[in-house]
Amino acid sequence: MGYGMVIDQQLCVGCAACTIACKIENNTPVGFNWCDKITRTSGKFPNVRYEYISTMCNHCDNAPCVAACPTQAMYKDAGTGLTLHDTNKCIGCKACIVACPYGVISINWQRPHRHWAQRDQLAEGCFSPREMLEESGGEGSPHGNPERGTTYPVVRPAGSVEKCTFCDHRLLEGLAPACVDACPSGARQFGDIDDPNSEVSRLVAKHGGQGLREELGTRPRVIYIRDYKPQRRFEPFRPAGEGQGA
Amino acid sequence: MNANVSLRDFATPTWILIAVGLVAGGAVGLYEMFFGHLFATNNALVWTLPLVTYIFLALMSTGISLVLAYGLIMKEEAITRHTRPLLIMAIGILLGGFTALATELGSLLNMVWILLSPNLSSPIWWMGALYSVELVLLAVKLVMDLKGRHGVFDMPLAWGTLVIAAAAAITIGAVFGTVIGRPDYHGAFLSVVTLVSALVSGSAAIVLLRPHSALTETAGRIFRQAALLFAALILVRVAYEAHSTVAGMLGWASIAMLAPFLIAAALLPLAPRLLALLGIVGALWVQYSFIITGQLVSLGQTAHWYGAVQSYQPNIPEALILVLGIAVAAALIKLGEQFLMRGEGRAAT
Repeated sequence: MGYGMVIDQQLCVGCAACTIACKIENNTPVGFNWCDKITRTSGKFPNVRYEYISTMCNHCDNAPCVAACPTQAMYKDAGTGLTLHDTNKCIGCKACIVACPYGVISINWQRPHRHWAQRDQLAEGCFSPREMLEESGGEGSPHGNPERGTTYPVVRPAGSVEKCTFCDHRLLEGLAPACVDACPSGARQFGDIDDPNSEVSRLVAKHGGQGLREELGTRPRVIYIRDYKPQRRFEPFRPAGEGQGA
Repeated sequence: MNANVSLRDFATPTWILIAVGLVAGGAVGLYEMFFGHLFATNNALVWTLPLVTYIFLALMSTGISLVLAYGLIMKEEAITRHTRPLLIMAIGILLGGFTALATELGSLLNMVWILLSPNLSSPIWWMGALYSVELVLLAVKLVMDLKGRHGVFDMPLAWGTLVIAAAAAITIGAVFGTVIGRPDYHGAFLSVVTLVSALVSGSAAIVLLRPHSALTETAGRIFRQAALLFAALILVRVAYEAHSTVAGMLGWASIAMLAPFLIAAALLPLAPRLLALLGIVGALWVQYSFIITGQLVSLGQTAHWYGAVQSYQPNIPEALILVLGIAVAAALIKLGEQFLMRGEGRAAT
């Protein structure tokens, strides 16, 4: 059993709904995203090509961040194959950030969402950010998702790194990661990539595909299939949500 | 212990400089630990001048330990006569490095926690463990020297210090050399660089801070040989980088980096302290260059936030952490000399 994700580049429209859904679900602060993108422009006019590659933690089987972490704060979960992080053990040495070849680990240089603690009002009679936070009852920010807190702190402390967990709190509830559910074109498929009969494994078997920087030997669990080709636009469409879920 | 130290001994230009460094750097360090973030870092460039400061001072301390261990094993009297001041220097400089590291980690407790939850596959854990052991070994040797206990344990301790110090310097290189995704870091070469760099800066520190003719001659000989070896290593790296076709490699070595080591090695007898200082600055330049350059190429999604290749200039708070590390080292060395040495030759200031 090991979770993995397949991203179909033919279906991805680069809308960034995954990025926004992740930000809301996981309460990431201003300044970085767990789910983000690489864009590449290549070619010469008129034969130019633009690629949008959605990125997140690859949950590598041979994770460099896990090997580099001096305190076992970054670890592999044997039951799910996920690469997870324990903020209580994190000493903020940033070895994982340097070791990760994908640039998907971020650190809270300062207390996240600290602007919501301000008591200054923009104008007299308005709510201050602090009052709005207290009114909403949210943790860290009025939008803090309490469900996130079931497996990982809703607000990660200053000095601690953080990264994508494949929404491990949602997996426990039998749900797919937030980015998968938010994708309007069904470009993201999620499941047990160690099971050859799962939808994700079948897609990889059908289309091939590869992870990012596989030559480094990290064995990423996010696999990209099918480069975008305009002539494929009229191929049968696979509805969003089909075959998804933990 | 020297009981004849008075307040007047602290009213010197050296102590005033040290106090200024402690206050200015200490204020930045405390602010960084408890209030906010001042360093010129981001999520793609995370190890900057404060970490360089730690590595610079830790390697310098390692170099002093190596020279001292060599002297004890080879029974070089020019070195063994200065065992106590060299121990004080090695301990003081290492603690100066630890101070800079504490500001970089944001907490003193994080430095303790690293030892309590070990990951044996992590070079950083080994680096922390080896430097902790080295600090203990140096402290044990100092206590034994203060109590006048010399005998059967001297040689095992000297060998232990030699092995641990060499392993610690090599492990610092491995922290960078085991990074697979950054071409400017990857490879065993950096472990050789850090080991030789430790010898260069450690022997240079002895020449700079202990200007006694016999010691200067012996440490100076080690420094000149290490500096020439270091220049050769940099030359090899320059040649490698010039011919490299590895994507994403910027290259941290330059021909200009040879100059301080060649000049210092060739002309050391003319102005030993000045040229030793040049060697130390050269070692800092090399360490700074490879640590920063390795992170300048933004990986993956961070290129969107910070550009494909970043530029870096240390800001004033970061420079003050370098000042803090040096000031802590200088203060501890001065205190050690004033309280633990009875009128024996003190360090030049």
